Amino acid sequence: LSMTEIRAGFSAIKANIQSRDPIRSRSILSHPHSLHKVKSSDRCCITHHLFTFYVDKVFKHCRTEDSFVNRKISSIANSFLGARRRLGQCREQNNCVCGEESTEKFKQILANYEGLNVTSAAMKSLGELDILLDWMEKS
Amino acid sequence: GELYCSLPNPRNVRFESINMKNVLHWSAPEGTGDGVLYKVKYAVYGVGKWIRKPECRNINRTWCDLSSETSDYEEQYYASVKAFLNGTCSDWMETTRFNPLTDTKIDPPMVSVSSTGKSISIILTAPEKWKRSPEEESVSLLQVYPGLQYKVSVLNKKTKKRWFFSISNNSLVVPWLEPGTTYCVSAQIHVTTPLLDSGFSKERCIATLKDK
Repeated sequence: LSMTEIRAGFSAIKANIQSRDPIRSRSILSHPHSLHKVKSSDRCCITHHLFTFYVDKVFKHCRTEDSFVNRKISSIANSFLGARRRLGQCREQNNCVCGEESTEKFKQILANYEGLNVTSAAMKSLGELDILLDWMEKS
Repeated sequence: GELYCSLPNPRNVRFESINMKNVLHWSAPEGTGDGVLYKVKYAVYGVGKWIRKPECRNINRTWCDLSSETSDYEEQYYASVKAFLNGTCSDWMETTRFNPLTDTKIDPPMVSVSSTGKSISIILTAPEKWKRSPEEESVSLLQVYPGLQYKVSVLNKKTKKRWFFSISNNSLVVPWLEPGTTYCVSAQIHVTTPLLDSGFSKERCIATLKDK
């Protein structure tokens, strides 16, 4: 997973995507429960859940009228697809155990997502990609 | 209640951040001379409740330091400015979403050099994150950006030959140099992800000792 490529791709469209999300008072990933409060033992499982979430529920609902933005979204999505496949292999080898807390955490994220209409929720989630990347890169 | 606002809006409202000292800047509304006053508010993304900044209420300057309010770099923020003049006002003008971790600029590292007969030793110090007061515990940007690296340039003043080194730790010894020669060292901070590069530091020159 090339974080540098994903970061570069997202930086190029960040202002555009975030400007399509006028709702400041709600977040998918950071409130009411912050990703940054996840225990390290749960990181692998939450990361896998989130890759699946972005692949299945976010990228496909983020089509825009701007072909440049769409291309960047597609390349980020492809990176996520690859990463999810590799993390899936980890889960099969039982190296990525999902505890109760991480399952609960992910339910909260889904609840945040389902609290908005699909397009708004997907665009907001995409606009929060730097929150996910910041958390993943934290040591 | 708010007045009917017909004043032109403040322009180019944005955060300018260096080492996470996060200062809100804007330009005065077009065509307004002196006498314009401003007030500022900010919000944490995902919470959304606007919070007024009392120290930036009825100010005539066009900046407001929000470093304290935006010091948690695991959060993201918005800020907004409103202008007032002769009983009328402008709309609130907002920034884009500000992420202190990715949207800050980083100062160059501090460079100290010493020399022996045929080598020079370089020690690099990353800048510190902004802090509220000198008494507050210092946080090096090295702690904030675990992937932080240094790019070091060494120039032979006589031959004008230059080398570049990329290092992760903060010290470097450059061996096999010419005695009695001046070398100038400059360094830059490079963070791969998020992508952040500082400028190069001011050159520090030192001469290797002459042969006995």
